[in-house]
Amino acid sequence: MKRIPTVTVALIATSMFVLAACSSDSPSSEETAASGPVTVQLLTHDSFALSEDVIADFEASSGITLEVVSGGDAGSMVAGAILAAGAPTADVMFGVDNTLVTRTLDEGVFEPYTSPESSALRPELADQTFEGRVTPIDFGDVCINIDDTWFAAEGIAAPTTLEDLANPTYKDLLVVQDPGTSSPGLAFLLSTVSRYGDAWPDYWQRLRDNGVKVSGSWSDAYYGDFTFGGGGDRPIVVSYATSPPAEIVYAEGEPPARPSTSVMTDGCYRQIEYAGILAGTDQPAAAQQVIDWLLSPEVQADIPLNMFVFPARQDIPLPAVFTEFAAQVDSAEQLPAEFVAENVGDLLAKWGSVMGR
Amino acid sequence: MTITTPTLHRSPGWLRWAWLVPAVFLVIFLGVPLVSLAAQIVSPDTISYFTDPLPWRVAGLATGQALLSTALALLLGLPMANVLTRYRFPGRRWALALATVPFVLPTVVVALAFRALLGASLGSGLAIVVLAHAYLNLAVVVRIVGARWATIDPRFETVARTLRADRLTAFRTVTLPALAPAIASAAAIVFVFSFTSLGIVLLLGDANTRTLESLVLRQTSVLLDFQGAAISAAIQAMVVGSVLLWAARQRSSGGTFRGGHLIRPDGFARIVVGIVIALTLLIVLAPVAALVWSSLRSSSGWTLSWWSSVFGAQTIDAGSTRIGSPLAAMGRSLAYALLTGIVAAIVGGMAAVSVLSGRIGRAFALATALPLGISAATLGLGTLLAYGREPLDLRATGMLVPMAHALIAVPLVVAVATPTLRAADSRLVTVAATLRARPSRAWWTAYGPILRTVMVAAGGLACAVSLGEFGAASFLARADGLTVPLVIARLLGRPGEASFGVAAVMAVILVVMTTALVAAVDKGGRRS
Repeated sequence: MKRIPTVTVALIATSMFVLAACSSDSPSSEETAASGPVTVQLLTHDSFALSEDVIADFEASSGITLEVVSGGDAGSMVAGAILAAGAPTADVMFGVDNTLVTRTLDEGVFEPYTSPESSALRPELADQTFEGRVTPIDFGDVCINIDDTWFAAEGIAAPTTLEDLANPTYKDLLVVQDPGTSSPGLAFLLSTVSRYGDAWPDYWQRLRDNGVKVSGSWSDAYYGDFTFGGGGDRPIVVSYATSPPAEIVYAEGEPPARPSTSVMTDGCYRQIEYAGILAGTDQPAAAQQVIDWLLSPEVQADIPLNMFVFPARQDIPLPAVFTEFAAQVDSAEQLPAEFVAENVGDLLAKWGSVMGR
Repeated sequence: MTITTPTLHRSPGWLRWAWLVPAVFLVIFLGVPLVSLAAQIVSPDTISYFTDPLPWRVAGLATGQALLSTALALLLGLPMANVLTRYRFPGRRWALALATVPFVLPTVVVALAFRALLGASLGSGLAIVVLAHAYLNLAVVVRIVGARWATIDPRFETVARTLRADRLTAFRTVTLPALAPAIASAAAIVFVFSFTSLGIVLLLGDANTRTLESLVLRQTSVLLDFQGAAISAAIQAMVVGSVLLWAARQRSSGGTFRGGHLIRPDGFARIVVGIVIALTLLIVLAPVAALVWSSLRSSSGWTLSWWSSVFGAQTIDAGSTRIGSPLAAMGRSLAYALLTGIVAAIVGGMAAVSVLSGRIGRAFALATALPLGISAATLGLGTLLAYGREPLDLRATGMLVPMAHALIAVPLVVAVATPTLRAADSRLVTVAATLRARPSRAWWTAYGPILRTVMVAAGGLACAVSLGEFGAASFLARADGLTVPLVIARLLGRPGEASFGVAAVMAVILVVMTTALVAAVDKGGRRS
């Protein structure tokens, strides 16, 4: 009986130690509010990554401490930012894409800022800043990926167009993600809406008749159903234009000479990722510096191999695995952000009724 | 008064205020976040969303699914609880810890394993979802029912059998009534977990296997329809509240508490015990074996690269901030788990004691269980609004994740503790008091040993909750403060062989950490 207090004391002491250990590595915001070093909180989704030394260089040259906070997946992050509009949970947000950006603008999430670095943006992105409220940082394409090894072994030519996917030659070979729960899944649906207009439900009916499989997430489709990623039985999957270079970069040991998957360049959907200053920040000047930095050549050149998307600047040379194996899509499908914001609920409901989900 | 429904009328003075601990904890970590969230969302026309038929239809589908999942989990879990907590055999403690493993496996890992094992024959839909839910929740049944079962004196059944009752009759008339509240608790919690399931439903379900939780996620992060999400979340909380209320009303009959001495199986019992142990190991270990296999395979055959990239390098993807140090993630997960276990055991224990002493009403008892019904998205967003910005930004303290985990674990602790405490013999307090023991001394004499037993069982489960939790952590962790499940999710979010291989390694490590931690907690509990 007498041991109980001892045990309790020991446990409490342990927890205090743990707490101290957990908190000791971060400066508290009180210290930084003074004139000394400034901390900027960068709110991002959980796919954000940059090189450690790129961040360290910025901190050393600017005197700004960058604290990266994760808001979950992109959709959850945006939801949190909208709910906190005006009294934000960070100073800068990176990673809102063109399917969700309109709602953040309607809700006054961002404070306008046009970076001097914007002059280097690719021409097709330069006018997509919504009156200077957000800044394009990178873009990527959601595309059909093909397991070349599988098609070579079967002696069948791989599909090359969206139309092919509904062809009986490719019956039971395609796996897509549920657009209601998966970001690439939604992008692929939007791609078909962009291509087929009001007739898109017919296209999906034909895909359904041709045995398309719907998975709950990208990981599930790529590692569960795709013939390359895991032990699946479907050699065609919705993924990214940069999945083949990722396959090389994340290979075991010596990277293979070339990837065993490739990208179908028809029917890709373009996703643009934006950064913006969160309205209500108490560090507007430092926040502007962070936006400038995200658009600087150093970060832009660092983006491809960390996040597997393309830099928004036009003057950045791409790494070799990108120029060799990533698909560079000239005519990706895209829908106006306002159209997506207004119609996404109806599109998902309609898709659900066509697919019986 | 019967011995079966004791009131702690001779309780020591401090017990009068025990309810304050859970009350303050719930207000800070559940009340304030929910109010912050509601203040942003709820408006006069929110109420009109209640007439939308969609969330009600989904609630109906989820109810059917959750009932089936619960029935199957009980069918498999009760024999395991019996054998693992009552019989003496070599390696018992490890077998009991292993039975906790399914509870912490990352959802996507379980989903992939189930598809690999059963996907060809079952496809997607109700059957495979129910199987996966039963598998994940075995630990809930084993831990909650086991904690009670271990305290039932086997001699009662023996006596009944001497009176010519057959085994089944003896079980039905003696053991089952004593177990009933624990079974009800376990069933309620399995129901709630299956009813609010997210990952398994997304990955293995179909159009007719959905939950309100999956609807909330879509409404929050795809449609940005916060009013609709609020309604779905409210309906979910109401269903969960009703189920937990039902469970809380189940009363025990047959107070048969006795210390937790183990039975040495002989003859027929030996065979049954052997079969159940073998089945437990088979069921628990099949997906784990698949994981180990994945962690050692590459396209070019067997490999140790994935293991050496976890233990050989300081960070995964050297130089990039994407994943960070796997060893640091393991340390962080362990620290969070210990802290969760301690906080949840204290808060949950105080709640259980207060509920039994009749100091607080049923409404409060229900409030301690409500975190189970609050979706991770709701809790995550609410906590972010309350404690993620000026003037009170607590993210940098690293406290938000373990506190959210403790909040999720408290209802489990209450569920483990209440049925067993309720069965404790309050006459001991009276006896001790008669012998002129001070009230607190008398109270400890009666309740101390049993309280310690159940707190340890509950604390182990709370640790497991923390080790496996993903949803709330994904909202509240700093980018450089990842837990093991978050690391696994990031790895699985990108292509390439190394991603899947290293994710499998991390999942195997999570299994080992869980087994070791839970076994250590069990052992520590027995010694103290």
